[in-house]
Amino acid sequence: MKILGISAHYHDSAAALVIDGVPVCAVQEERLSRRKNDAGFPLRAIEWCLASAGTEPAGLDAVVFYERPMLKFDRILTSTLRAFPRSWRSFPHAMKNTLGEKVWVRGIISGQLGIPPQKILFTDHHASHAAAAFLTAPTRRAAILTADGVGEWATLTVGDGERRADGTTHITLRREVRFPHSLGLLYSTFTAWLGFKVNEDEYKVMGLAAYGSPTMLDEVRRLIRPLPDGAFALAPEFFEFQTTAERSYSAKFVDLFGPARHPYDAIDLDSAQGRRFADCAASVQRVLEDTLVGIAARLRRETGLDDLCFGGGVALNGVANARLLADSGFERVFVPPSPGDAGCAIGAALYADRIYFGNPDRDVPDHPFWGPVADAAHLARAAREDGQHVEELPNAVLIDRVAADLSAGRIVGWMEGACEFGPRALGHRSLLAAPHDAAIRDRLNRDIKRREEFRPFAPVVPAESADRFFDLPSGAARLGRYMSGVFPVRPEWRSRLAAVTHVDGSARVQVLERGMAPRLHELLEAYGRRTGVPVLLNTSFNVAGEPIVTQALEGYLTFRRCGIDVLVAGPTVVTKRAASASLKESREWSSSSVAASTVA
Amino acid sequence: MRPLHRWVWSDGDRRLRKLLTFAEVETDGGRDILRAAEVTPDPLLRRLYLEHAIDELRHGEMFRDRGAALVRARRTTRPVLLDGNPLPGGHGLDDLAIEGEPDHRLLAFLHVAEKSAAGRFAVYRELVGDDPPTQEIFEKILRDEVFHMNYTYTQLTRVSPEAYRRHVWHARAKRLWHRYLRAAAAIAGVFGNTLLRVIYFVALPPFVWFARRAERHEPAGFIPIEPTRGERSPRSQY
Repeated sequence: MKILGISAHYHDSAAALVIDGVPVCAVQEERLSRRKNDAGFPLRAIEWCLASAGTEPAGLDAVVFYERPMLKFDRILTSTLRAFPRSWRSFPHAMKNTLGEKVWVRGIISGQLGIPPQKILFTDHHASHAAAAFLTAPTRRAAILTADGVGEWATLTVGDGERRADGTTHITLRREVRFPHSLGLLYSTFTAWLGFKVNEDEYKVMGLAAYGSPTMLDEVRRLIRPLPDGAFALAPEFFEFQTTAERSYSAKFVDLFGPARHPYDAIDLDSAQGRRFADCAASVQRVLEDTLVGIAARLRRETGLDDLCFGGGVALNGVANARLLADSGFERVFVPPSPGDAGCAIGAALYADRIYFGNPDRDVPDHPFWGPVADAAHLARAAREDGQHVEELPNAVLIDRVAADLSAGRIVGWMEGACEFGPRALGHRSLLAAPHDAAIRDRLNRDIKRREEFRPFAPVVPAESADRFFDLPSGAARLGRYMSGVFPVRPEWRSRLAAVTHVDGSARVQVLERGMAPRLHELLEAYGRRTGVPVLLNTSFNVAGEPIVTQALEGYLTFRRCGIDVLVAGPTVVTKRAASASLKESREWSSSSVAASTVA
Repeated sequence: MRPLHRWVWSDGDRRLRKLLTFAEVETDGGRDILRAAEVTPDPLLRRLYLEHAIDELRHGEMFRDRGAALVRARRTTRPVLLDGNPLPGGHGLDDLAIEGEPDHRLLAFLHVAEKSAAGRFAVYRELVGDDPPTQEIFEKILRDEVFHMNYTYTQLTRVSPEAYRRHVWHARAKRLWHRYLRAAAAIAGVFGNTLLRVIYFVALPPFVWFARRAERHEPAGFIPIEPTRGERSPRSQY
C-alpha cells in the first residue's frame, strides 16, 4: 500500500511516502525550492518522493493531509468573531489567506496530482504529531504528549499509544488544551517581543535564556496560570493573537515587560536592556519547562508507562526535553528528528496506514536520512570545471586526511548520502570543525553562519565516548541521537570543548551510534586518535537565512562563497584554492561597453 | 519620476524603509541567481552567476547594515519597517521561476532588470547627497551593476547569437506585463479588502454574540477528547 503524507500551508511544508507501512522517503519543500521555511504546496517534494520511489500519482492508494482544513477555518473565524471589533485589520488578510487556498486542499491535491478526491484523507493535526512521535520510536507502549502553537483547535494533547503483539496499533489522545491557551504561542509571543521571527527563531530565545537569570518568573506567571487539572490558561489581556501573527503581545504585555526589542537592534548583554531581554528569555524558558514537566509527570502517574513520545514544535526545545527526562519520571523520552509540522507529513501517512487502514505494525527505520542523495560525481565535475583542487580518495585515506584538516583548524563541509528530514544536520549535511577553540566558533559565525554571538554550536560525539565528555543521565543518549536534548559538558572538558560549550556549561550534543552515520563515526574516531578528543563541532551546512544544502552543487556553491576550507561528498574532496582573480577583472565585461550611459 | 523619488528619499522614515526593503529584495535576488548557478549546465555561466549572486547578497548586507545604523541613530518607534513593499520585483527576480528556464531567457531578464535598477540607483545616488554613507553604498553597487549588465549582454550574445535582440525585447515586454499584473493585483487587493471590511462590520456582528456566548461556556484546562472523534470519516475536513 502506497500512502503519501503532506503537510503544507502554514510553515515548513513537506511530503513523505510510506510504502507497505515503512517510510521510504521524505523531504521538506524548502530543501528543493531553496526558500527557507517554504510553506507553499509541496509539489517539488511530492514529485521527488514519487520519482525516487518510481511510482506515479495514479499508483498511490491514498494521500493524507496532516490536518483538517475546515476545522482550522472554524477556529480562525470564531477567534476573529470573539475579537470583534479589534480584529478588523486582520480579518481581510485571514479570509483571503484561508478562503483563497487553505480550505480548498482537497481540490488542490486532486488537481495537482490528478487523483480522484476519494483518495484524499485528513487527520487531526495533533494526531499527525502523535503518530510522527510514537510510530517512529522504538517502543511498543508509550505515553504521548504533543505541544505546538496551534493545530485546528488543540494546542496540546496527552494520550498513549500501543503497538500490540497482534499487529494492531492504537493511538488514543485523551485530553487536549485548546486555543488560545498555548505553550507554543506563549513562547512565540516572547520570540516576537524579543525582536525575532515567529515560527522560525524560537531557538534563539532558548540560546539567549542561558545568558540570563529567571528573575521575572512572577511576571511570566501572570501570563500563564496553572489549573487544578494540571493544564494551564493564558491570561488573554496580555496577548493579541487575533490581531496579528507577528506581534502577538498586547499593550499590557509591554507595560509588564517593557518595550520590545527592535529587530535591527543588537542585543548587548553588557547593557541593562540586554540583560533584561536575557532574563525574560530565561524566565519564559523556565516557565515552559515547569509547565511541561508538570503535565508530563501527571501523565506518567496516570499511565504508569516508562516511555514518553513527545511531538509538536515545542519538542524542538532541547533544554525542556532534558528537563522532561530528568524530572517527569519517564525513563525514556523519544523526540522524532522532525517534531514540527514538516514531520507531520510522515506522521499523517503512518497514521493512515496503521489506524485508518488497520495495516499491521512494522518497525520504522530509526534514522533521519529520508531525503535526496548528494551526487559526488556532480561535485567533482563542477569543481574541476572551476579549476578547484579535486581529489578522489579511498575511504581510509579520506578519513585520515579530513581528520588532519580538522585538527589543523580547517572548516569542513561534509555531505554524505541522503539528506536529513528535519531542521537538524545530523551528519549528512554538516559543517564540521574542531571543538576546542573558541576562535573557530567565532570564525564560523563571522565567515559562514553569520549568527548572533549568543547562539551556541553543537557537538557530535561517538556513543561509546559520550559519557566521558558529557554528563548524560540515563536516557540522554536517546535524546542525543537526534540532537534533541541539552546536557552539561563535564567541567573538566569545558575549556577543551570551548567552541561547543554554551555559556551555562551545556551543549546540545549529538550522540552518534556507528550504525546511523558510519563514515562520520569513523571520522570522529580518527579525529580522536589525532587529538585525544573524539568530538567535533557539528552545525548545519547552510548560510544564515538559507535552507540546509541538499544537492552536491548547492554544497559546492556554498563552499565557494564563504569560509569553508574543505568540501567532502562521498569519495570526493575539494580543497579551496587561494583566491583567484575575479571574473569581473579578468574579462571583457569589466569595461562599460553596454552600461556606461546608464550609470554615468 | 524624479520628484517622487526626491519625496521618498527626503524623509528619514521613508528612507529607512526603502533601504530595508532593498536589503530584502537584493538578498532574494541573490538567492535566485544562486539557484540559477546551481541549475545551469554551462560552467562559465555558473561562475558568472555565482559572482553576481555574491554581489547581490553583499548589496543586501550593505543595505541592511546601513538600515540598522539608521535605526540605531534615529531610534525609530515604528514596530514593523517592512510592512508593504513599494518596490517592483517584490520577491527576488519578479518571482521568476529559475528552474526550467533556459539560460538565454534568464540572461535577457537579468540584463533588462539590472539596467533598470542601475538607472534608478544612479538617481538615488544623487538624491542622497546629504547622507554620504548611503551615497557610498549606491556608488559601490553601481560599479557592480556595470559588470552585471555587461556580462549578461555578452553571454546572451554567446548563448543565443541569432536571437539575442529578440530575447531582450521579450524580457522588456514581460517586465511590463508583470508591472501591469502587480498594479492590477494591488487594485484588486484594495477592492477585496474594502469589501471584506464591509462584510466584517455588516454581516458579522450578529454572530459575535454567539461566538462570545460559546466562549463563556468553554471549560478551562484539559478538555476530554470524545472517543467518537476517532470515528469520524478520514475524508472529512471537519
